[in-house]
Amino acid sequence: MSSELKFTKEHEWIKIKEGVAIIGISDFAQEQLGDIVSIELPKAGGVFRQGQTMAIVDSVKASSDIYAPISGEIIEVNEGLIEKPEMINQSPYDSGWIAKIKPSNMEEEFESLMTKEKYDRYIGEIK
Amino acid sequence: MKIIFEYEEEKNTGHLQKEEEEDVCIELPDDISRKELLPIPNVNEVDVVRHYTNLSRMNFGVDIGFYPLGSCTMKYNPKVNEDAARAEGFSNLHPLSPEVCTQGSLKLMWELKEYLKDITGMDDFTLQPSAGAQGELLGVMMAKAYFRHKGEKRTKAIIPDSAHGTNPATASMCKLETITIPSDPRGNIDIRRYRESLGPEVALVMLTNPNTLGLFDENTIEISDLAHKNGILMYCDGANMNALLGITRPGDQGFDMIHLNLHKTFSTPHGGGGPGAGVLGVKSFLSEYLPVPQVVKRDSGYSLDYDCKKSVGRVRSFYGNFGMHVRAYSYIHSWGTKIRKVSEHAILNANYLQALLKDTFDLAYDRRCAHEFVLSSRRFGEKSALNIAKRLMDYGFHPPTIYFPLIVPEALMIEPTETESKETLDRFVLALKKITSELKEDPEMVKQSPLSTPVGRLDEVAAARRPNLRWRPSQRTNQSGSE
Amino acid sequence: MDYIPATEKDIKEMLNIVGVTSINDLVRDFIPAFTGKMNLPQPKSELELVRHMRGLAHTNKILRCFVGAGAYNHYIPSAVSHLLARGDLFTGYTPYQAEISQGTLQAIYEFQSFICLLTGMDVANASLYEGASALAEAALLSCSYTGRDRIFVKERLHPQYLEVLQTYCEGAELTLTDRIDNDTACVIAQNPDFYGNVENLHYLAEQAHRVGALFTTCIVEPTSLAILEPPGKYGADIVAGEAQSFGIPLSFGGPYLGFIAVKDFLLKKLPGRICGMTTDSRGNRGFVLTFQAREQHIRRERATSNITTNQALMALAATIYLALMGRSGLTTVAKLSYARAHLLNRKLEKAGFRNLNSKPFYNEFVVKAPRSAEELASRLLKKGIVGGVNLGEDNFLICCTEMNSIQDIDDFVSAVAGD
Repeated sequence: MSSELKFTKEHEWIKIKEGVAIIGISDFAQEQLGDIVSIELPKAGGVFRQGQTMAIVDSVKASSDIYAPISGEIIEVNEGLIEKPEMINQSPYDSGWIAKIKPSNMEEEFESLMTKEKYDRYIGEIK
Repeated sequence: MKIIFEYEEEKNTGHLQKEEEEDVCIELPDDISRKELLPIPNVNEVDVVRHYTNLSRMNFGVDIGFYPLGSCTMKYNPKVNEDAARAEGFSNLHPLSPEVCTQGSLKLMWELKEYLKDITGMDDFTLQPSAGAQGELLGVMMAKAYFRHKGEKRTKAIIPDSAHGTNPATASMCKLETITIPSDPRGNIDIRRYRESLGPEVALVMLTNPNTLGLFDENTIEISDLAHKNGILMYCDGANMNALLGITRPGDQGFDMIHLNLHKTFSTPHGGGGPGAGVLGVKSFLSEYLPVPQVVKRDSGYSLDYDCKKSVGRVRSFYGNFGMHVRAYSYIHSWGTKIRKVSEHAILNANYLQALLKDTFDLAYDRRCAHEFVLSSRRFGEKSALNIAKRLMDYGFHPPTIYFPLIVPEALMIEPTETESKETLDRFVLALKKITSELKEDPEMVKQSPLSTPVGRLDEVAAARRPNLRWRPSQRTNQSGSE
Repeated sequence: MDYIPATEKDIKEMLNIVGVTSINDLVRDFIPAFTGKMNLPQPKSELELVRHMRGLAHTNKILRCFVGAGAYNHYIPSAVSHLLARGDLFTGYTPYQAEISQGTLQAIYEFQSFICLLTGMDVANASLYEGASALAEAALLSCSYTGRDRIFVKERLHPQYLEVLQTYCEGAELTLTDRIDNDTACVIAQNPDFYGNVENLHYLAEQAHRVGALFTTCIVEPTSLAILEPPGKYGADIVAGEAQSFGIPLSFGGPYLGFIAVKDFLLKKLPGRICGMTTDSRGNRGFVLTFQAREQHIRRERATSNITTNQALMALAATIYLALMGRSGLTTVAKLSYARAHLLNRKLEKAGFRNLNSKPFYNEFVVKAPRSAEELASRLLKKGIVGGVNLGEDNFLICCTEMNSIQDIDDFVSAVAGD
């Protein structure tokens, strides 16, 4: 069973599936960035604290940090994005996922994230 | 247009040096000699000259028209300075020639330093850095060395959010952490936030003055005093010195270091992206950290001094972009004691344009500007700055800097410089106003613009996703003019 | 000279629009106002300026040059400076507006291609300042890629290049090391080295790769690449250096032309500007600056380097030079430089000098003089010759190019041979 999507203020999304957190950036974020042309992915095995920079995505005119939405160890990254970074634009919640993390402090941290409704309200405010 | 590698048939190059009888070539040992034929084409001179002449016709420069590219000071580059730099005595001089042969060059460099000291109010200069960014790098390295000798560990740099991208990039190259300070509603650095960020861990404050909004910071003296009270060095990014010549001096404003871009203020040509020259001035207490060698004047003549124990070393080979020093020196001699007129007219031209345009666009900060100003085209919608810029090309103008500074949405940053006539400025205003009405009447056409340039808008996304960054010999077989 | 077109009438009208009565009203906030007198020269007319500048240039003495050591006296075809003097090329700036900068952009693309073809590498950037700082950028790149902070430098790197590396390392908190081990980010070797020695550096590349370090070849005299094995063939991951030899005047040390080229896997770490080929809205081929998100104006403190202004006009000079010379012309330059250096070396050996090169050399070599360096230099100066770099202990670093005629070589030898 997979959980519902949760979001951060920095526009990452996270979904828990069988104890593993899948991470990507929101549809709003990819739209703001425009055509994504490259991504710097973390290495599997890397350990990040919540809020730490774990990846960088570049569009033609912008460069943006991706922050770890929760703490944990990277167990897999979406290697396909290196060849086809446009998958983040085309399918941000599915084939455009960025990394899978084994959470180390999920109970506490997961609570701090926004639900879909709350996130939609949030982007309504900042638009 | 073909690229040079697509000239199909092998021609006689014409450029062959004559071998003499004594030039017996010894065979190179096999393990170091080139095995494959050097894969560059033989093209005859006439084709080469036509190729690059035709390329030049697809370019825009100050010699072609108005080039109000904010923060770059695209003023006219006097031709006589080019002649000076190309004089045989300068251009054919080897940098390691004995000093009896180099007195003219050394004198020029020494005098140029004296002039720059006077213009900025600094005590000493180095001409070594190759460009502004390298001047900055040197400045930050010197600040680190200074604090190391004082036994202080300082790890942070204060930089306003309106700063050039090079400032934070330079700080980070030197492993300093950046503290970003926002701008206040008048476009000055937010003085309350600035005060809060001061402390014993801050090494330097990097300020552009006038800042990138084209505004002279009204609190400059207070900012310097506060920094100095905390033992912090004041660094001035002198990219905008064209507003200050003879009017006020960074050295008197409390700055301890300043780099100047000779290719901006002192009219050395921008060359399609360089060479520049990023000379660095300092107050006397930092003098001993300057790079070696320094040009000195002795009774016996001019000389290069390598003896400085606290020097940070070198940031490049030899003595700097000497050819640029010649041009800047020649430029300063043409103006001499009347150099203030340059800045006065740069400021007058900018304020004139601002006054004529401030109702058509939104003025980012409603104040009199220095040598440049920033408009926002946000009332014309998203991507309007880009569309206006592209359409300006059809009217024969180079566009202003767009989307910088980052803190102004749909920014158009306009720097006319002093060398433009009132007629040119009036034509530019007319063109901008015409474009704003086109944006309402025929927005699609504006989005398609430019319509009159050698190429239309280019696909930057494809360029980045499927990079083709060089020609390969394998392309020779399936070449074509367009793909 | 005065380059301001505004008349009194214009000024009045403009002040009126701005809403002030004098220019001084516009600068009242620029404090503290400078009220002193500037110690600048009197303004000059163009005629006076020309006389003054000519006078200074004549104070320098241009002699017959046998000095290299990072700056090489090659012939520059006349067409190079004629083309460079075109205002549409040299009065433009960075080609951010591609539609009206195709000339500059295509020339950069051609330059990148020439550098790759000569060095045997995959991709080059649009230029760096000059050789020494280009090498420092290669070291920074290696540290950023490997996540390590130690740099190994092989002996006989140009001493000024070493000084620049030391300065950059100090600033960026990196360390120069004398060991190649698992902490080494990169191994640097100049080829031909400072003494002119040429070597196949395959063994060093292997040593670097064995410990996961990058191998950088530094090229200071690039005409050598016309006849020598390109670094890409013996395992270089990065080639960085100086391309002044390609059509750029000696000009007392600058402006010169730094370059950097890498293998494909390092592309995203490359500093500075890169130009790429693409298509326009009308389906035509065109060129743009690409991968700009690596650069300081977008990434700010996360940029790969702070470089902004580069040496575009010098890169253009090199491109035109290489196009004019072609394979045949450049190969002759290299062969002649090689032949003349060996000829002078042979003649000096006969006159009692001892060659100190441990390996085959290209167009520079080191000799031990049979008499003091000071005496040697002054004898040569009397003949109008700048004879080489004094390395101490009566050792001389001497350079020849196609510019040194057989007559020059004979004059050199006769100046130093007799008693």
